[in-house]
Amino acid sequence: MKITPIIGLEVHVELKTKSKMFCSCSAEHFHVDPNTHTCPTCLGLPGALPVPNKTACEWCIKLGLALGCTPNESSFFERKNYFYPDLAKGYQLTQYEKPFVINGKIKIGDQEVRINRAHMEEDTGKSVHIKDNGQELTLIDYNRCGVPLVEIVSEPDITSAQMAKDYLLKMQQIIRYLGISDADIEKGSMRCEPTVNLKIEDNDQVFYTPLVEIKNVASLTGVQTAIDFEIHRQTEAFKQTGEVKSKTNKNTFGWDADKNQTFLQREKEGSSDYRYFPEPDIPHIEFTKEEIEEIRKTIPELPDGKITRYKKDFSLNDYDANLLTSDIDFSKAYELALGQNPDSTFAKFTANLFIGAIKTHLNESQENLNIDKINSIFFKNLFDAVSKSEISSTVAKQVTIESYQTGKDPVEIAKSKGLIQVSDSAEIEKLAIGVISQNSKAVEDYKKNPASIGFLIGKLMQASKGSANPQLAKEILEKLLK
Amino acid sequence: MDLKNLTISQIQELLFSKKVSVVDIVNFYLERIKKLDPQIKAFITITEKEALIQAKNLDDKIKKGDKVGKLAGAVMAVKDIFLTKNIQTTASSQVLKDYLPQYSSTIYQRLIDQDAIIIGKTNTDPFAFGGSTENSGFFTTKNPWNLSKVPGGSSGGSAAAVAADLCQFALGTDTGGSIRLPASLCNISGLKPTYGLNSRYGITAMASSFDCPGVFAKNVEDLALLTQFTAGVDPKDATTIDNPVPNYSELLDKVNLKGLKIGLPKEYFTDPINTEVKTKVLEATKFFESKGATLVDISLPSTKLGIAVYYILVPSEISANMARYDGIRFGRNTDNNPDITSYYMNTRGQYMEAEVKRRILIGTYALSSGYYDAYYTKASKVRTLIKNEFINALKKVDVILAPVSPTTAWDIGAKVNDPLQMYLVDAFTVCTNVAGVPSVALPCGFDNQNLPIGFQLIGNFFEESKILSIAHQYQQFTDYHLQTPNL
Repeated sequence: MKITPIIGLEVHVELKTKSKMFCSCSAEHFHVDPNTHTCPTCLGLPGALPVPNKTACEWCIKLGLALGCTPNESSFFERKNYFYPDLAKGYQLTQYEKPFVINGKIKIGDQEVRINRAHMEEDTGKSVHIKDNGQELTLIDYNRCGVPLVEIVSEPDITSAQMAKDYLLKMQQIIRYLGISDADIEKGSMRCEPTVNLKIEDNDQVFYTPLVEIKNVASLTGVQTAIDFEIHRQTEAFKQTGEVKSKTNKNTFGWDADKNQTFLQREKEGSSDYRYFPEPDIPHIEFTKEEIEEIRKTIPELPDGKITRYKKDFSLNDYDANLLTSDIDFSKAYELALGQNPDSTFAKFTANLFIGAIKTHLNESQENLNIDKINSIFFKNLFDAVSKSEISSTVAKQVTIESYQTGKDPVEIAKSKGLIQVSDSAEIEKLAIGVISQNSKAVEDYKKNPASIGFLIGKLMQASKGSANPQLAKEILEKLLK
Repeated sequence: MDLKNLTISQIQELLFSKKVSVVDIVNFYLERIKKLDPQIKAFITITEKEALIQAKNLDDKIKKGDKVGKLAGAVMAVKDIFLTKNIQTTASSQVLKDYLPQYSSTIYQRLIDQDAIIIGKTNTDPFAFGGSTENSGFFTTKNPWNLSKVPGGSSGGSAAAVAADLCQFALGTDTGGSIRLPASLCNISGLKPTYGLNSRYGITAMASSFDCPGVFAKNVEDLALLTQFTAGVDPKDATTIDNPVPNYSELLDKVNLKGLKIGLPKEYFTDPINTEVKTKVLEATKFFESKGATLVDISLPSTKLGIAVYYILVPSEISANMARYDGIRFGRNTDNNPDITSYYMNTRGQYMEAEVKRRILIGTYALSSGYYDAYYTKASKVRTLIKNEFINALKKVDVILAPVSPTTAWDIGAKVNDPLQMYLVDAFTVCTNVAGVPSVALPCGFDNQNLPIGFQLIGNFFEESKILSIAHQYQQFTDYHLQTPNL
C-alpha cells in the first residue's frame, strides 16, 4: 500500500495598513481596548457603507505579483452571507469570482507549489466566552472587524507536513520582504488552514480519502503536527472503513494543541451555501497595466533572487546565502556592510561575521537588528587587518560585536585592548615555553597523539589573550616539542 | 401672517425682509402638524424641540448679521430611513423602534449645514419596502386629498407632509418609484436623481444598487435649489460620482422647448394605465407640442420585464442588507433564548414586519445555490438590456415623457392582501431605477374624484438640469402644482 498525502493550504494574512479595509478606523487591534477602533461601517450600523482601502488592494496585487500571479483586469467584491455575532453586517466582503490575482507559484526546494489565487477580504470581530458570576457570557470585540485580510489559496501540491511548514516559512518570508504584514502566526496575523486527504495505491487500485479541512492551528509546529496526525488518522480510518472522497463528505476538523489531535467540528461542508453575489456598494475595481507596473516596481529583490545572486557574485555556499537572506533587514545590513562592488573574499569574510557574530549576538540578546549601526568602512578595515594577520578571526568576531554595540572602529577596539595579533616568533616562543611547562599531561598526550596539539594551541591563545597568530603558534609548539 | 403654501424662495423673502422670524415659520408648521397630522399621520416623530432650538439659533445669527446658510427658513420633513443623530430613526419598523443613531446621513447633514430645519421624521413602508405606507410597522399615512386613500409609497409620509403643507420640502428615497409615485398621488413635485448623484450614506439600505435618495417640494424650482445641496460626491459612498455639481437653479430656463424631441414610449401608455391618467398625461404632451417640441413615438420593449427583474434583484440585495438587523449591536432584541440561533430567529421573527420577511425570503431563495443562475444572473442580464434600451432611446430623443402611476390614489386596504397587485403600482417607475437614469415627477391634473395625476420626465445619466428645466417651464404655464387639498 503506497500512501501519498495531498495537501493544500489556505493562508490568511492580515495586512498592516494604517486603516481598516472599508473604513478609516485604525487597523491596529493587538492589545487595544475592546471596541475602541470602531465606527458605523465596521460595526455594521444601519446605513453605513464600505469604501475600499486602495493601499490594501495594491498590497494584495503586490503579493500576487511576488508569487508570480497574473492580475485580473477587473475585480469586484462579493458578499459572503452567514450569521455569526462577530460578523457585524451578516456578510463578509470577499472576492469569489474575480480575485485580484490568480495562477502563481512558490518554489520549495526543488519542488513547486502552484498558487490558485490571492484575494482581498475583511477580518471578523472576536468573540470572547467568559463566565461572570456563574453566568456564561459571550463578549464581542469589533476592533478586528474589517481589518484587511489577504487569502492565498494553494493548489493541493504539497505532499508532506514538512513541505507544508516550508511553504509557510517561504510565504512568511516573502510577505515580510514585501513589508505588507508581520505575518506572525502566534499573534494571528498569519493563519493557516490545511486541507488534507490521501492518495492510496493498493494492488493496482487507487483510492482518495475524504477531504478534511483543519482549523484553529495557531503555530508552525502545530501545522506540522496537525497534518501528520491527520495523515495517520486518515490512514487508519481508511483501513477500518474504506470510505473514499465524495462531493458531500468534506469535513472540518479542529486542532486541539493541548491534546495534539484533531477533532470533528462540522460534517458535510458541501451543504453550506454562502449565497455569494456581487457587492453593490462598491464599483468594480480596475487597475491599468501602467498601475500594475507601478506596483511591480515596489517589489524588492526577493529571497530566491538574492540567494542566487549571493552564490554567484560572492561565491557563498547555500547555507550562508540562505541564512543571510532569511530576513530582509538582515540581508540589507549585510549588503550595506559590503559597500559597492565587493570582491568575493571580502563578501565571504563579512558573511562569516554576520552569521558568526552579529546573528549570534542578536539571538542571544533578543535584540532587533539596527541597520544604522552597520558601517561599511569598519568591515573593510577589519578585513584588511585580518588579511595582514594583524587580527585573528576569533578577535574579529569579538570586536565586530563590540563595534556594533558602541559604533567604534573594530580595529581601534582591538588595538586598545591589546588584541592585535602577535606574529613575533620570539614573543610566541616565550609563551609556548610557559604553556609546555604548565601542561605536562597535555605534552604527554601530544607525544602519543600529535592530533591533540589543539589543546596546547588553545592554552597558548588564552595566554596571549587571543592575540597570537594561531598558525605561527602551532608551528612553534611543534618545533619545541620535537 | 399667513405662511400657507409658500415655496422656499417666497418664505426666504419674508424672512430676510424681517416680516417673519425663523421661530414664526417653525411655529406655523408645528401648529399645522398639531392640527392636521392626527388625521393624516405623516409623522412618526415630530422634532419640535430640535426645530425650535435650531430656529432660535438661526434668528440670533440673522439678528447679529452673521452669514446664514442658503436654506435658512426652509423647514423639512425627513423620511424615517435617513439616520438623524440623536433623533429616533425607526425606518417605520418595529425592529428599530426607539433607535437613536450615533451619526447622521450625508445628505440630511448637507441640508442642515445650509440651515434647513428638521420638523420631523416621516412614515414609510418598513425600510421603504412597499408602495403605500400600509406596510409600516406603526400606522398608515392618509392621502391629504382624500383621507380614505393611500398617499402612495414608500415615501408616503414625506409626500403627504409636503402636500398638506406641514413643511416646505421633504427627503425621500426612490428604489422603484418611492419618490415619484407618492409625489404623483399627492400632487407635488419629486426628483429621483441619477444613481450615484446623491449619497446613500446613513440611509438604511433597501437595494444598494437601486436606492436613490431625493427631494419632494411644492414646485420644480425648489427641487433644483435643494438638489444643489444634496448632490455631489461623498467620500463615504463609493458609488457616488465625482462630477462637478451644476447650478440647477440657474439652468432652469436654459432648455429650449422649441425643437425639443420628446419620446413617448408606447409601453407606458397601455395596460394597466387608467384612461383618465392617460388623457391627462397626453394633455401635458400637447402643452409641449404647443411650445414647439416634437413628440416622437418610441418603444422600450423590455419595460414589461421591469417588475420581474426588480423583484429578483431588489429582494436579493435586501436579503443581505437586512442581515445586520440581528438585535446584537443595536435595535430591539428578545430575552431568554437558549442559543444564538434562537436569538436570531426570535428577534427577527418577532419584530420584522410581514413584507420585510417576504422580501428576505424571496431574496434568499433567488441567491441560493442551484437557483442563482436562473434568477440573479438572468435578471442581471435583463437589467443590462433595460439600461441599454434607455441609452439607445435617449440617442433619438432629448427626454422621455411618461405617466408615473397607472392609476390615481387607491383606497386604503384595497391591495394589502395582494402583494402582486401592490408590486404592479410601480410598473411605470421601476425601469428607471433598473437603468439608473434620473426622472422628475410633477402634477398634470386631476381625475373625476379630484385625485391628483402626475407625469414624469426621464433624462439621460446626470441630466437632472435638463429634465428639471423642462419640468420647470411646464410649471410656468400651468397651475396644477399650485392646487392644494382642502384640509
